Amino acid sequence: MSRPSPLLVVVAIAAALGLFFAGFSTYDAVQHLDRDVHGLHCSFVPGLSGTDTDTASGCHVMLMSPYSSVLRQQVWGGIPIALPAMSVFAFLLYWTLQLWVRGRGLDRRATGFLLAATLLPVGASAVMGTIAVTVLHAACKLCIGIYIASALAFIGALGTWLRARRNEPSSSSEVSVVSLLLSFVLGVAFVAAPVGVYLASMPDFSRFVGQCGTLEHAEDPYGVRIPMGGGGSVSAIEVLDPLCPACRAFEQRLEVSGLGARLHRDVVLFPLDDTCNWMVSQAVHPGACAVSEAVLCAGADAPAVIAWALEEQEHIRTEAARDRGAAQRIVSARFPRLASCIGSAGVRARLNRSLRWAVSNHLPVLTPQLYVNGTKLCDEDTDLGMDYALSRLLSRTPGGAP
Amino acid sequence: MKSLLHVVLALVLLAVPSVAVHRWVHAAGVRLAANTAERAQASAPHVAVAEAADEGYCSADLKRVLRRVLQSCGLAGAGAGRGCQPVQARNVATMSGDDFNALFLPLSGRAGIIEFDRDSEQLDDADRALVSRIFADQRGASYFFVVARASPEGAVDHNRELSRRRAEAVLSYLRTTFTDPDLDREVGLLWLGAEFAQLDPQFCNWQRSAPNGHCGTQEINRSAFIAWIDCRL
Repeated sequence: MSRPSPLLVVVAIAAALGLFFAGFSTYDAVQHLDRDVHGLHCSFVPGLSGTDTDTASGCHVMLMSPYSSVLRQQVWGGIPIALPAMSVFAFLLYWTLQLWVRGRGLDRRATGFLLAATLLPVGASAVMGTIAVTVLHAACKLCIGIYIASALAFIGALGTWLRARRNEPSSSSEVSVVSLLLSFVLGVAFVAAPVGVYLASMPDFSRFVGQCGTLEHAEDPYGVRIPMGGGGSVSAIEVLDPLCPACRAFEQRLEVSGLGARLHRDVVLFPLDDTCNWMVSQAVHPGACAVSEAVLCAGADAPAVIAWALEEQEHIRTEAARDRGAAQRIVSARFPRLASCIGSAGVRARLNRSLRWAVSNHLPVLTPQLYVNGTKLCDEDTDLGMDYALSRLLSRTPGGAP
Repeated sequence: MKSLLHVVLALVLLAVPSVAVHRWVHAAGVRLAANTAERAQASAPHVAVAEAADEGYCSADLKRVLRRVLQSCGLAGAGAGRGCQPVQARNVATMSGDDFNALFLPLSGRAGIIEFDRDSEQLDDADRALVSRIFADQRGASYFFVVARASPEGAVDHNRELSRRRAEAVLSYLRTTFTDPDLDREVGLLWLGAEFAQLDPQFCNWQRSAPNGHCGTQEINRSAFIAWIDCRL
């Protein structure tokens, strides 16, 4: 065997790096199949540093976003896109090594095939990177590792192919088209095999759907349910903290999945802020009480205030953590019409009733919670498993089928 | 040799993701089964459940009084006779007046004293403002106590009736001001006349509706003591 060209070495290293990063990313996603909470390997040196439990970290935002996996309504949590990424990098590594072993580093067809294969991770990285920046506003270090590995592999493959092109073509020494077709089939097998293993090994999650209790008192004697509209026919109640990151991610998932459109949703406010909520010993989401008061003050415009608060929640939480009065000032500046209402005895009493509604229903002290026709979507199914569990819950509810 | 190496490479690199994924998913499935079994056996929920407040000052004695007031004075359920009269209150509390008042000392930050004019049950603007402010600050409390009194001058029956009217005046104001469907389940009335648990002047330091007026034994007892009680029964 001759020495491999430096460009092939670059591709091999990039593919190995991609396999490494995609492996950790897949591992992080698979961990959650136990329906528990886990830290993530959010690092450029995963495995050497500890795991990150911050739910606001870029890796967490990315993993919990609707874009981290596919076929979510069919498979609990969907098929993580990092899983086929792992397979693609494994295939790239295989193809690069076999180019070296077989001495095909100057074969135009073989190197062209390598270049074509690298377009897949590069294209996927471009799409995911754009989503991360423009939609999720999150930087996921593991994902960045994959993007860099993809780009390096592409650059190495491009250089290898250009070098091969400069060589005189010799049809007898080039890999045959049939071989390339077989290699393409092998590449598909590289992706299909782990995905098949993944699907075959999955636990049965359907047994949990609808088994997490019902609302004891769905009625609204206090007038605290806020209609969110929606064209759906299935009545649903969401228990929400407008400054809770998990609630924002839940809203995004509901919207992207299309399942939200099948609900006729009311919101009950449950701010996890000790300014008004005696059930938390400290402000989990500082400023949430003032923002919740604004939502109650807004009347028919409540959905707009909620949407704004979900969008601006980091800024509001940060400012309110420094100064308790900041949230009221920020929301009053954005919605001057509500300024005189926020903090008034009347709205404070109404927010208190919202919390008492939670007490009368013995709700867990967490957000978000979703009750579909009175039946709870399990807390463990509000993130990765939402599409799977909610679609099944809806299909069991009269009028809930698509 | 090269062909064999080629095949081995393909098999190894195909096996790496497949085997790894199988092991990870299997391990998650085992954990899921264990977690499910553990939660099924656990007697307590694994996250806190929304509950009314139960502060540290809710001593056994205070809860006993609270429970007896709720049960004996027509507050729990739709009783026609609402509230406790002095004789009943004494029986309910089964303790001396001083001990009864001592139960409420930890409520200094939550309570207010509505001061009435002599021989009057009329609420003035300052009285109404203090009632509103304290009632709006319910937080996690389940019960609102109105304990009305009269100063010692005057006949026993007159004082008894006067303190009843004072307690009723506060309740009436709450009804008209706050449309709270839980009002009847929350508000407990006791009227003590001048017979039981008279306040001593140390209560003059508490939040009062007439903070600038003279406060002595007589003035502090021409009053209705109001407070949310952050206790769970």
